[in-house]
Amino acid sequence: MFKDLDPILHSQLRLAVMSLLLSVKQAEFTFIKEKTNSTAGNLSVQVQKLKEAGYIEVIKEFKDNYPNTTCKITSKGIKAFEEYVKALQQYLQVKK
Amino acid sequence: MEEKQLSNEESLKLINRMIYEAKGYFYESGISGLVYGFSITICSLLTYFREKEMLAFPFDPFYLMTPIFFLQGWIQYKEEKKKKAKTYIDESIDYVWLGYFLSVFAALCGNFANAGYIIITIILFLTSLAAFITGMLTKFRYHVICGIICMLISIASFFMQNVNIYLLLAVMAVMVWLIPGFILRAHFKKQQHNL
Repeated sequence: MFKDLDPILHSQLRLAVMSLLLSVKQAEFTFIKEKTNSTAGNLSVQVQKLKEAGYIEVIKEFKDNYPNTTCKITSKGIKAFEEYVKALQQYLQVKK
Repeated sequence: MEEKQLSNEESLKLINRMIYEAKGYFYESGISGLVYGFSITICSLLTYFREKEMLAFPFDPFYLMTPIFFLQGWIQYKEEKKKKAKTYIDESIDYVWLGYFLSVFAALCGNFANAGYIIITIILFLTSLAAFITGMLTKFRYHVICGIICMLISIASFFMQNVNIYLLLAVMAVMVWLIPGFILRAHFKKQQHNL
């Protein structure tokens, strides 16, 4: 029986953000924007969706008098990501 | 990057690419290494000349390290703020060096029991270990080799329980902090230039 792929993760930008955050302890919004090559507006929307799903934590603070947003993956996010990768592997094994 | 649905293969490729991108992130200006390198080398040499009575110095030169620690703490704080991402390797290295400095302070307590030059030997071993682990974590081959050479220097220090041990400490400071400091600084400047 195949598991359904998590619709929150099964989109290019959200998956890219989650993969990045999985590999670092925390990252600034500008870092994610640079690495994913996305626009600030689009990234903000996707980050908000991930936050609402409880997959990431968003910390807003001031750095040198400028607003700074930092993102961090949550344990729920890690679990969802692992489930997603397992489901993907299942699909790909059947294809072979 | 656009918001679009992915095929399963594309998803796996994207995950791999992003993990690779994140792990490749590195921010190190080399200033910390230079500050420690210069200060420990200078303090070791001053102590050597003072104990050889070639130089009059009003107090133990290593007392100068106290303000250096505060200065270094401030520099570290500023550097951390400039990092756009904190990797797990960064965090592990911070713990290694925090453990190192706490162990050095603990070893310095041997002065209360007049432990003598063996304290420097302990510090040399601790430095070799921290350099070796840092090299292994960052895959910076220089630090791995340097750690091994410093372990040999530490062994040699058992046979040099006299004032000359400060020269070994100076050599180690140059190898562990000063040279990597210059390498990282050059790399950092090059990186900034390319931006």
